[in-house]
Amino acid sequence: MAKPEFTGPLENISSCCWRIPRSYKPGMRVDGLIFANDKLIETIRKDQALDQVANVATLPGIQKASLAMPDIHWGYGFCIGGVCATDPAEGGVISPGGVGYDINCGVRMVKTNLFLEEVKPHIRELVKALFYTIPTGAGRTGRYKFDTTETRRLMAEGPRFVISRGLGVPRDLDHTEAHGCIPEGDPDEVSDHAVKRGSEQCGTLGSGNHFLEVQVVDAIFDADVANAFGLELNQVCVMIHSGSRGLGYQVCDDALALFRGCPTKYGIELPDRQLACAPVESPEGRKYIAAMRAAANYGFCNRQLLMQQAREVFAEVFGRSWEELGMELLYDVAHNIAKLEEHQIDGVTKRVWVHRKGATRAFPAGHPEVPEAFRAVGQPVIIPGDMGRASWVLVGSSGSMEKTFGSTCHGAGRALSRTAAKQDTSSRKIEKELEHRGVIAMASSRFGLAEEQPKAYKNVDDVVDVVHQANLSRKVARMRPIGVIKG
Amino acid sequence: MIHGMYELFEHTADLGLRIRAADLNTLFAEAGECLFTAILEDITTVEPDVAISIEVMGTDRELLLFDWLRELLLKFEEDHLVFRYFQVEVREDGLTGTAWGEAVDPTRHQLAHEVKAITYHGLRVEEMEGEWLAEVIVDI
Repeated sequence: MAKPEFTGPLENISSCCWRIPRSYKPGMRVDGLIFANDKLIETIRKDQALDQVANVATLPGIQKASLAMPDIHWGYGFCIGGVCATDPAEGGVISPGGVGYDINCGVRMVKTNLFLEEVKPHIRELVKALFYTIPTGAGRTGRYKFDTTETRRLMAEGPRFVISRGLGVPRDLDHTEAHGCIPEGDPDEVSDHAVKRGSEQCGTLGSGNHFLEVQVVDAIFDADVANAFGLELNQVCVMIHSGSRGLGYQVCDDALALFRGCPTKYGIELPDRQLACAPVESPEGRKYIAAMRAAANYGFCNRQLLMQQAREVFAEVFGRSWEELGMELLYDVAHNIAKLEEHQIDGVTKRVWVHRKGATRAFPAGHPEVPEAFRAVGQPVIIPGDMGRASWVLVGSSGSMEKTFGSTCHGAGRALSRTAAKQDTSSRKIEKELEHRGVIAMASSRFGLAEEQPKAYKNVDDVVDVVHQANLSRKVARMRPIGVIKG
Repeated sequence: MIHGMYELFEHTADLGLRIRAADLNTLFAEAGECLFTAILEDITTVEPDVAISIEVMGTDRELLLFDWLRELLLKFEEDHLVFRYFQVEVREDGLTGTAWGEAVDPTRHQLAHEVKAITYHGLRVEEMEGEWLAEVIVDI
């Protein structure tokens, strides 16, 4: 089923932006715009992701352009690394494929007041304790059990619900996108199947590319912003990458089933069944939006519980409370989500549905949704890389509002398939290789490390270079992993 | 006995299931088995202690296969059951399937992949030269 590489028109319109003109495919309402440099675009051409960018351009109500970040790769319907905004006033649609199966997959970064030299002697013990405390991998259930009523409350309230039970502190909410609670999420629109899948998985990491890493600040690129974020060279931090677990997958799955008849019902012509969508202002659209928001709140809650477990492990290993260890949340941001936001389009302020599928919100300084503590510098953007190289902290900048509906990249993007990565080497060998690079890694699946090895990903530094150059977000600090736990 | 065969194929971030069989009933049964070879490291560790029955309605064969696998995945996700043997009767208006397996026992069942969902991408059920072929990609 592999198709040859993209051979359609691709115009280089600036040093890091490429265009697929609207004339490429019948039905395209806007151009496709891809943010990438010469090196990345060569990799990007090799799969069908660019064709998917063109397909998204056919969606009713799409504004400005179908956008792709430099970490774009093939996804279901929408490419991963895609951004599209639709205007409900122009018949705009909402698409579960534009959010992805893992609703509110995202990243959270927690600071500590520890430095590399203090942590290094304990890293093995620390990684082991994290691995045995935090449930990872397929089929694992968490230590926090919520019945179905509690799970629905948790979806309505987000992390506030668990914080009220002592699992975190209210100030954690100030540093979470949307304060961890997207209004008008309706847990009653989430199916019983989804609630059942979610009720025992809150506070579990999951598998695939999800991880919890102990990282060290490896380089500072903007001293003022790093200072505002409370980041210094050699400081140890924890990065958590996970989403809404089985609950989110099920909400997406339910919506795709519900949307099966929508293209015919609403006269929408789709080039790919997986692009399933419904008008925002339709019973199906409204139902999905309410359920998706509730699932997103669950996702924030999941990362809150993962953070809280990490805080407890650090306290145990270092013999001090997490507060004494300065384990404050820097920021939690989603990279699989659709949100109703205000944007300037051709000089007019519009409320549009911004779909970010593998793209991170990157609001600049002054935006009211940036936490007060950072409003003068901009929103922290957390970019997870692969476990051998680096992850990044960026800051949202003005270019994102002008070009990408306030969005930037979300990670490295896969370069090798799982099978190819697994054939390339064994997990055992990867563990040794990582250790050689100073990274202690533990995974629950035999194939986990091999499938997720550094070679399977593009170099995140290349991706970040592009978004920095395009002024979608600017470099603040680079993080190097020293401890990894995975599914 | 009519037999079928299946394999997992690669797909950038995910896994594909490819199944061939002489008839539709075997194709669907083999698809069930193939799904659990993606979920489990070794499907032969599963004992057929319990049987569950699944009814799916619909006339579109591709969606029927999708829904059959979706129901099996739900039994795994919600009830923590894994399956090894499958029997399916595909009709014009739907299907009746039975799956035999047991509750997940972490001491005997090593999980290989977390299958998030069955996807519609590249979903195929086709008859070619007297043989049935199905392809499904699962999100992991």
